[in-house]
Amino acid sequence: MKAIEVEGLSKNFHVKHKEKGMRGSIRAIFHPQTEKICAVNNVSFGVEEGEILAFIGPNGAGKSTTIKMLTGILYPDNGRVEVLGIDPVRKRRQLAYQIGTVFGQKEQLWTHLTPYDNFHFFGAIYDLTNDAVEARIKELADIFELGEFINTPVRNLSLGQRIRCEIVASLIHKPKILFLDEPTIGLDPVVKENIRRLIKQMNRELHTTIFLTSHDIGDIEKLCKRIIIVNTGQIVLDDSMEHLKYHYLNKKIVEVKLQDEVKLPSMDGITIRKRKGGNVKFEVDTTVIKIADALHNIDTEYVEDINITNVPLENIIMEIYKAEGKVDGL
Amino acid sequence: MKKYMVIYRSVLIENLQYAANIAMGFISYFMIIFVFIHLWNYMYAAPDDLIAGYTKEQMIWYVMITEMIWFGARSSTIREQVSADIRGGNIAYLVNKPYYYPLYILAKYTGEWNIQLSMYIGLTIVIGITMVGGIPNFHWITIVAVVPCIILGMTIHAVFKLCISMLSFWIEDANPFQWLYDKLILVVGTIFPVEIFPVALQPMLKLTPIYTVCYGPAKLIVDFSVEKYLEILLAQVLYLGFGGIILFWLYGKGGQKLYVNGG
Repeated sequence: MKAIEVEGLSKNFHVKHKEKGMRGSIRAIFHPQTEKICAVNNVSFGVEEGEILAFIGPNGAGKSTTIKMLTGILYPDNGRVEVLGIDPVRKRRQLAYQIGTVFGQKEQLWTHLTPYDNFHFFGAIYDLTNDAVEARIKELADIFELGEFINTPVRNLSLGQRIRCEIVASLIHKPKILFLDEPTIGLDPVVKENIRRLIKQMNRELHTTIFLTSHDIGDIEKLCKRIIIVNTGQIVLDDSMEHLKYHYLNKKIVEVKLQDEVKLPSMDGITIRKRKGGNVKFEVDTTVIKIADALHNIDTEYVEDINITNVPLENIIMEIYKAEGKVDGL
Repeated sequence: MKKYMVIYRSVLIENLQYAANIAMGFISYFMIIFVFIHLWNYMYAAPDDLIAGYTKEQMIWYVMITEMIWFGARSSTIREQVSADIRGGNIAYLVNKPYYYPLYILAKYTGEWNIQLSMYIGLTIVIGITMVGGIPNFHWITIVAVVPCIILGMTIHAVFKLCISMLSFWIEDANPFQWLYDKLILVVGTIFPVEIFPVALQPMLKLTPIYTVCYGPAKLIVDFSVEKYLEILLAQVLYLGFGGIILFWLYGKGGQKLYVNGG
């Protein structure tokens, strides 16, 4: 069953446009000009229940606008949205009981209260009984390991601890869908890894559908099975992670350390990325040339070290961003 | 309703930590009252004089009570936070919860003014008793009758401040309008009672929120009459109904125009 269904969704913003300098400012008073920005343009997709979906794109691509339309915050100009069978525009408050949101750059917790008091606060907001909130706090505090700081005022928590509490506050009412907008922003790698593990565990144990946006490729790679890439308000890719990697794994990065500087013969399918002394880094397109044939050109007598890796997912996504809709051939 | 009580309770817990900050405002309050005590002492030539129907003690108590309400009602939540939430887009992160945003703000504000006003009531009683003496013909039962008027007055004040803040959906900065409203309340309803203004102007002043926010509760405490009480209570109920309708209409219309910076 689909948790989210989106069809032909569009949203335009009218942004004030002002010419530079004092003259422009005065002119803007008498002749205000606005510019129409198409933030989301005819977007359609669906998300299955229990799925973890990465919804990514460069800054200004329309990710957050889409999330805000899915959660009923913004009104779409066109199109149809159904989240758990509910129209977010008409029944925002009804939907609020079914979804949770975490915006990594915004605090929803009351900073002068402890996480425990905050959870009780959010429980009451969602009409839960005290007993139900207590049971839920206990369950989530175990999963998210909050025991040590659950009674410390939020303002005294580290960023990692706060984000864990933010997620727990969003889960207190057992939402069926959790919208995570850059949940690991600003966190160190260890805490990031911890948060990802907890999100995965939550998805597995509580079967929560997760709609994730992030600029952190690690979040996407480690959490998501499906990815939607948006750019300039349109979907440029909607594919499984496995499929995405498979299509791009035909490119390998070869790093070779040679005793002396050796000139590699120029061949189709080989692109030199970097060269410094005896160190060479090149990309091999395996649809053009086999990796073994590419390595044949190097005299093994001079090789001190060799390393063959896949193209990083970050580069793959960057290529897709740059293509801006020219990815039909994937 | 329970959720709004929880919001109110959370603000109480939060604001209790700032009791010392609130107490810092006592200095400004004391200075204003000190000036007015001396001013009215000078204005009243003889102890039995009446100005606009008020004895000297009544006049000074009137100013102290209206200033007490004014200081107790000060709140950055209704003055700045709502405008800032709308302009900065932070409102987007508050409206996706299962509560009604204007009521959420009202519950927060109620928690704030409850603590502030309680502290200022204590200060007013101490200053009043020591520097002015008791209110003439005052009965303690008056307090019981006036409490609903104070609550309604504070809520009406918040509703109108929120209506002004809601203008931020359409205009860049609602602060000039907040400033105008504040000054109107301060000059017309707080420092001087309505009766001190020209007779021709008084019916007009009674049509403004000033009559219900500061003047009404203060007038009833210094010079209670059942007739005045019912008149003020009725005006407050009408004002709250009228203000509430405008507030919810503005919020409903504005919500559709919501533009969130950064998407």
